[in-house]
Amino acid sequence: MTQPSPASSPAQPSPAQSAVAERLAEIVGERHVLSRPSELLVYNSDGLPGYRRQPRLAVFPGTREETIAVVRLLADEGLPFVPRGAGTGLSGGALADDIAVIGLHRLKKIISLDVDNRRATVEPGVVNLRLNKHVAPYGLLYAPDPSSEAACTIGGNVAENAGGPHCLKYGVTLNHVLALTVVLPNGEVVELGSKVGERDGYDLRGAFIGSEGCFGLALDITVKLTPKPQTVRTLLADFRSVDAAAHVTSAIIASGIVPAALEFMDGATIRVVEDSIYAAGYPRDAEAILLIELDGLEAGVSADLEAVRRICIDGGARNVRVARDDAERMKLWQGRKKAFGAMGRLAHHLIVQDAVIPRTKLPEILATIHAIGEKYGVVVCNVFHAGDGNLHPNIPYNADDPGESERVHKAMTEIMRTCIDAGGSITGEHGVGLDKMGYMESIFSESSLNAMCELRGVFDPDRRSNPGKVVPLHACKEWNAVARSRLRTRTSPPAYADDDLPGATARPLEAKPTHPSAE
Amino acid sequence: MSTEAVVSAIKESVATGMPLRIAARSTWLDAGRPVRADKTLSLRDDGGIVGYVPGDLTLTVRAGTSLLEIERVTREHDQWLPLDPYGSPDGTIGATIATASAGPLATGFGLPRDLLLGLEFVNGRGEVVRGGGKVVKNVAGFDLSRLMTGSWGTLGVITEVTLRLYALPSADRTFAIALRGSEKDMASLVHTIVVSPLTPYALQLLNPPAARSLGLGEHAVCLVRFGGNDAVVRSQVNALSHIARLEEEQSTIWTRLRLLDRDAHTTIRIVSMPQRFLAKSAKILGDDIAGIFTCIDPHRGVLRIIVGANGKNGDVGTSTIGGSIDFHKGGEESTEVVFEKLPPEVWSAVSPSVVADGLSQGVKRAFDPHNILNPGILGD
Repeated sequence: MTQPSPASSPAQPSPAQSAVAERLAEIVGERHVLSRPSELLVYNSDGLPGYRRQPRLAVFPGTREETIAVVRLLADEGLPFVPRGAGTGLSGGALADDIAVIGLHRLKKIISLDVDNRRATVEPGVVNLRLNKHVAPYGLLYAPDPSSEAACTIGGNVAENAGGPHCLKYGVTLNHVLALTVVLPNGEVVELGSKVGERDGYDLRGAFIGSEGCFGLALDITVKLTPKPQTVRTLLADFRSVDAAAHVTSAIIASGIVPAALEFMDGATIRVVEDSIYAAGYPRDAEAILLIELDGLEAGVSADLEAVRRICIDGGARNVRVARDDAERMKLWQGRKKAFGAMGRLAHHLIVQDAVIPRTKLPEILATIHAIGEKYGVVVCNVFHAGDGNLHPNIPYNADDPGESERVHKAMTEIMRTCIDAGGSITGEHGVGLDKMGYMESIFSESSLNAMCELRGVFDPDRRSNPGKVVPLHACKEWNAVARSRLRTRTSPPAYADDDLPGATARPLEAKPTHPSAE
Repeated sequence: MSTEAVVSAIKESVATGMPLRIAARSTWLDAGRPVRADKTLSLRDDGGIVGYVPGDLTLTVRAGTSLLEIERVTREHDQWLPLDPYGSPDGTIGATIATASAGPLATGFGLPRDLLLGLEFVNGRGEVVRGGGKVVKNVAGFDLSRLMTGSWGTLGVITEVTLRLYALPSADRTFAIALRGSEKDMASLVHTIVVSPLTPYALQLLNPPAARSLGLGEHAVCLVRFGGNDAVVRSQVNALSHIARLEEEQSTIWTRLRLLDRDAHTTIRIVSMPQRFLAKSAKILGDDIAGIFTCIDPHRGVLRIIVGANGKNGDVGTSTIGGSIDFHKGGEESTEVVFEKLPPEVWSAVSPSVVADGLSQGVKRAFDPHNILNPGILGD
């Protein structure tokens, strides 16, 4: 950066570093490039605050053309980068370890809305909720609704294949994205998928969605919009035991009714929410609640509502309350969606997992999770997408207490192991990022991980886009050989700037399984 | 046949340099796509249920399992896989996923990519690879399942798949509505039905030859299927009966509709913005030429043209097919043309490679470096 700063400042960038920053500033304007450590502090973590990595610089293109130019400049220099949306991710996926961050939040144009054909094309920095507010007057909605919807961007949703409560009925991001324009890490611009929704050939759109920023950056995204349901009814069922609520969840799923959402909160979570500004009127003395939403045509919803109410009562619910109006519905939902934030009341640090288990195993696994919490003397708050079997065990803790950190770490590892052994997945919607990389080898064989590396190699042969994430580097055997030969044939040396910056070799962030608190 | 047998067949093929034609019941090979292969690797006998816990509404089966078998097994638990690709129901699930084949139920339940949770395949080096998982939500790792869906066996041989199931609805009823009168009347009726808040499982508009062939009378027909609890089906039937005269049909009509192109020499699928075909549907359906069936799914924006059915050649040579496609594309940029079936001799002339772009070529090289899996089936 060329802004004057005191010569004595320790944050003074080196001259060579300034050279790249200056060239980036020529593309996006000086005020949209940050390179002083103090300015970059805000980008050193994402929604999972236990992980910290300091970026070398951050650049914020304001247009599609600027984005392409930035990517091409970094490609010419052989420099790695990390794409970043709103930074609400929960896997450490948007962290840049001494390399560049390309922040995309300025790309926030809703490019087009086709009401009749129920499609919208947006830039990656458009905030999820803003898209929904934009299309709501036309009786439409964009179905994937992560709890961070008020802040997270569609580009970030695509990178993570984000879910949300209503994905139970409507599916996750990949079911709603029709087409993308992508700038590959080498600067090439390609179209993936088709705006009409179906086409012949390899589903490269499907491959790109959920690639966690490792395949390039989306410049625009065409999504399918869903007609607003005619009727929406929201039930709150409360239980004296976690076990009863878990059995009721399994029973609702087994009944074949597909609720729009089926969310679970345990007693610890209920009480922290009720203590916070997001208090939703949940019964404080309950050990579990289920928040169940049914939508569709009025006649069908009424019939399902009765069936669900019966299952809840038969399964031991103390009360089943149906929200009378939209205001009450919103209040019930706000408590759920802000539960994660409310946990900040319990402790400064929070670790959250995202495992998915077969839905019939919910009662058994929730009991095991409880026992693990007791064993290690930690508080596990469960608030999750029960209908999908997508658990979110949260443990608030004090990272400054090494003894507690150690116990939290062990408890989470054991919880994850339990879910994997039950035939589950390590992540349902948050992504692997840095956080879950250490578990990849427990669910995928060497050849499967290698196939993923090879797929990445097609999009990003130099492994410069979000290096060191998702698949542990040592799993990429075949691919490493190719990368090495590429490096040998490189004519000019990688030059971010000066010395230690990981150019095309992209210093691997080896998995530090599960525990962020050591950072 | 087992995964190990597929591995050794592929390794042998790599060693001898003899490409393989991947087949199960060979249903899709009738599509006439060109495959340059010396040997056939058949998964016909590699069927069977691997894992089924009805309470989870997920099913894991070997790739050679037929759709009929899946229907039989799941029906015992009042569940189903709502996937009804065109063609014979004794086609296999492996081929259905490999070809991304869907049918009328895609209106209500989505495409194969939406129902697939995970799979196992053997790549062109003979390595066993798994993508996705066995639970209903999963973002662990890069999405190899979606990549394999619709890759026509060119990236790997699918050996096992895990799918999302649904409960069988308590009511499932199908109705035919005759589309009579002037083009304008027809257009207005179709528009009213399609833009209504009804949520059908399936809705197809058929031209008179197609309707005739299914025994649905002399007029163009709207065939609509409602499912769900009794109340939601009853209310939709009521609502629709205020708009049009309904004739209830057996649900077997859908199986017969899926077989409409059994004897045809050409089937083309044109996918466009839904409103486009909705606006033009009356005109398209007005065409009454023996041997040419047209079916429109106005919700998905899909038009299927079947030529030469019922042993008639449809009065069109393949040279006019290009003209017909141009007409339906109408210079529209965002229109996709998919050839489902063509006479073998015209494939290469009519259908361009669908994997010619740099990324697709790179994917092919990464997964099948020796080009031994179904070479040429998607073009080069």
